[in-house]
Amino acid sequence: MSTELEHAVETARSPFAEAFEMFRKNHLAVAGLILLIVIILAGLFGPYIYVADPFDMVWAPFSPPGEEGYLLGTDYLGRDLLAMLIHGARVSILIGLSAAFLTVFIGITVGALAGFYRGLTEEILMRITEFFQVLPTLLFSMVIVALFGASLPMITLAIGLVSWPSVARITRAEFLRIRELEYVTAARACGVSNAKLIFKVILPNALPPIIVQAALMVGSAILFEAGLSFLGLTDPNVVSWGQIIGSNREYILDASFTVTVPGLAIFVTVLAISLVGDGLNDALNPKLRQR
Amino acid sequence: MKPLLKVDNLRIELTTRDGVAPVIDDLSLQLNAGETLSFVGESGCGKSMTALALMGLLPEGVGRVASGQILFDGEDLTQASDARMREIRGNEISMIFQEPMTSLNPVYTIGEQIAEVLRRHQNLSRQAAWNKAIELLDAVRIPNPGARVSDYPHQMSGGQRQRVMIAIALACEPKILIADEPTTALDVTVQAQIFDLLRDLGRELGTATILITHDMGAVADMAERMIVMYAGRKAEAGPVEQIIEHPRHPYTKGLISCVPHLMATLTEERPELTEVPGIVPSLRDFGRDQCLFASRCDRADDKCKTSRPPEIEFENEQSSACWQAEQLR
Amino acid sequence: MKEKTAKPLLKVENLTVRFPVKRGGLFSKKSYLYAVDDISFEIARGETLAIVGESGSGKSTAALAVARLVKAHSGSVLLGDDDFLSLQDEALRQARAQVQFIFQDPYASLNPRLRAEAVVREPLDSLGTGDPSERQASIDALFKAVGLRPEQQRLFPHQFSGGQRQRIGVARALATRPELIICDEPVSALDVAVQAQILNLLRKLQKDFDLTYLFISHDLGVVQHMCDSVAVMYMGKIVEHADRLSLFNNPLHPYTKALLSAVPSVDKKRRQETKRILIPGDPPDPLSPPNGCRFANRCPAAQEQCSQSQPPLRQIAAGHTVACHLVSDNGIAPI
Repeated sequence: MSTELEHAVETARSPFAEAFEMFRKNHLAVAGLILLIVIILAGLFGPYIYVADPFDMVWAPFSPPGEEGYLLGTDYLGRDLLAMLIHGARVSILIGLSAAFLTVFIGITVGALAGFYRGLTEEILMRITEFFQVLPTLLFSMVIVALFGASLPMITLAIGLVSWPSVARITRAEFLRIRELEYVTAARACGVSNAKLIFKVILPNALPPIIVQAALMVGSAILFEAGLSFLGLTDPNVVSWGQIIGSNREYILDASFTVTVPGLAIFVTVLAISLVGDGLNDALNPKLRQR
Repeated sequence: MKPLLKVDNLRIELTTRDGVAPVIDDLSLQLNAGETLSFVGESGCGKSMTALALMGLLPEGVGRVASGQILFDGEDLTQASDARMREIRGNEISMIFQEPMTSLNPVYTIGEQIAEVLRRHQNLSRQAAWNKAIELLDAVRIPNPGARVSDYPHQMSGGQRQRVMIAIALACEPKILIADEPTTALDVTVQAQIFDLLRDLGRELGTATILITHDMGAVADMAERMIVMYAGRKAEAGPVEQIIEHPRHPYTKGLISCVPHLMATLTEERPELTEVPGIVPSLRDFGRDQCLFASRCDRADDKCKTSRPPEIEFENEQSSACWQAEQLR
Repeated sequence: MKEKTAKPLLKVENLTVRFPVKRGGLFSKKSYLYAVDDISFEIARGETLAIVGESGSGKSTAALAVARLVKAHSGSVLLGDDDFLSLQDEALRQARAQVQFIFQDPYASLNPRLRAEAVVREPLDSLGTGDPSERQASIDALFKAVGLRPEQQRLFPHQFSGGQRQRIGVARALATRPELIICDEPVSALDVAVQAQILNLLRKLQKDFDLTYLFISHDLGVVQHMCDSVAVMYMGKIVEHADRLSLFNNPLHPYTKALLSAVPSVDKKRRQETKRILIPGDPPDPLSPPNGCRFANRCPAAQEQCSQSQPPLRQIAAGHTVACHLVSDNGIAPI
């Protein structure tokens, strides 16, 4: 009996530690995570290892991969595709992460306030959420970028503004559910303040589905950015994957690799993020967790 | 008299993360036509699992009958085909569940749900099944059945829904009705109505009832014989009155005296309740060669912890699986 | 028994709780559901008052309102001289420390992300009772008092069984050294064999710490064991209120009688003596309660006057009040 208790004490882990354990056992998710780390590292340190200016016209246009030492070939202006890809990774990941962060920040704030205070607050906040949800997302972000200029912060803002409603809805739903649970009532019986109730008691318990959503949000933000820059709505001073595809699209039949290589990069990154998101979902979803 | 249902040395194994565990371990029982038998015990003792085994509804891929027989009218249900079990289920053996809120389909009217069973098992026409559904609602004492038959489940109270479940279960006049904690989710005055209903209908139709419950009071009220289950094994069995009067197993004793009961006259005196310390062992420990109750029993000695007690039968049809059953007073 | 102090610890007067209900369209008129309708009771220090009733009777809402966890529409909850319902800030914090709550579902009442010790510490921290440096010592003492081992403080709720979780819930309620503990169905979610452990613990703690309990339950067997007096609620109203022996041995209200007769018992004598009083049908729609007695439509003894006017609570004997037109003044029940 006492050894059993000792064992229990030793293995006493918070639900999040347990979720991490579950995640580790999910091979696909771990593979996705490793892939993602590789991509992030490439974006972070690649430019220092493979020193090359992505805007330099280094060789004849459309030279196929491998020729003259250019591993991925050159684009329509004769620029080194590998260098562009590495610099593009930076932009894609940066935009993906910061847009997801912005999304989650707005979403949690709105959702938590609506779900916790109910009543008029909820009514107003949810109408605002619905307003943003019914906006044609691409059109709206194009307008923002067209009006305020195509800088990275503006693109991030545009993506964040159109994607937060889903996070807000999830957060609100979780808050509505959790605020009725007895441990929240118990905390109220102890005189815990509203701010503490929201951030210390309810939010940590509401996080799992939000984390999953945030992970998937990174993927969709990368796709969104690719879409915008494909249409040319991007900062011309930085390279991004979507922009490479967009600028080379006229030559897709003659030099398909100039489009498929960055396309593959987007595909692999978003796939890796989805795998991680799926793994997080399984690990954090208590219904799947064994007792 | 030949029993309607005879279970012989039934062993049901459940595959878990920690290996295979016998959730039902060497269970034998008999049920005669028209009688009420009660399974009693805490949750996790195998009461519901036994019921699911009788219905052929063990969780697929996880649970299986490892050995033993379930003889229903002479037919071994453990060998029956899926098609045959579907025929039996709902027709000859039917079941009602604890949660009347979730056991009815919310998108169909209750009439449609009752008629569906009748059409499947008895090949009644649409109109005939509908008329029979109204009759059945009347039989389970739902007022104004002609109008209520087209109600949706959410339009009824918990007690009424459980009546509808009973109507569905009894639609084909089954020989056995298994009631798994049928009143746990209901108020006590509603419980009394449901019990009365079950008793009367059982008498009218000659249906044998298996009542699964944790409430000794309900057992005393409803059943003639009872089986006390503990950790997948039969702890004690016999006629209800005798067992309550003189339990021959410490677990039965604990179950009776750990609950404060309403007595004929209440007095100033309020003795401490008998505690059964600890909890039911985990599945991992099922199937060990020892008395599984030993860790919670104040009478346990070395023998209890090293070998499984056999079932000792007494003259008065009572039987107990306890090494000290004879001394227990 | 215990010596009764002249002044009750808790005095609830004309407590009413109502919830707004939207019916029909967005702009339809708001109507109210009176979950608790003008109830009054008091509890002497060191005693237990049980409120019994079936689902929808308003007993849990009443408990939550007394603890100020649900907003009361009107009425007062007097703790000593102060109205708990109108306190603010520091006074409220001190009063909260005096009134604690034990919840029904031990699986939902503990924050899954906190270790057991943090669960018990929460009221100490947020109500600021006791010296911070002594808090660990008092947590140790609380764990001991509810029968848990000191090592178990480091565990998370999911590592405990239902009974143990409820013990943690009890320790949390005891942490601020309250005088009144409101127990809302504290054992109904537990396995039968475990219920006794918690009930015995609650009785022992009541003696050790001189606690006063407001005990909410639907289980009359448990109520009989725990209480000193009982209030029976039906549709938001108290229909009968008496000390333990009078209520169980001499119930007067037809609803109380029906309720008691419906409880199955292992006692053969009781089964033979008790005539089952069946009350058919369901309670009326709480949104439009009848003008007369709310139990009239199910009452086997109902007469014309019952559906015309609401029976007031009348005192029949010392400490025994009942709200029924048909109970005679000298205490003869209609059925």
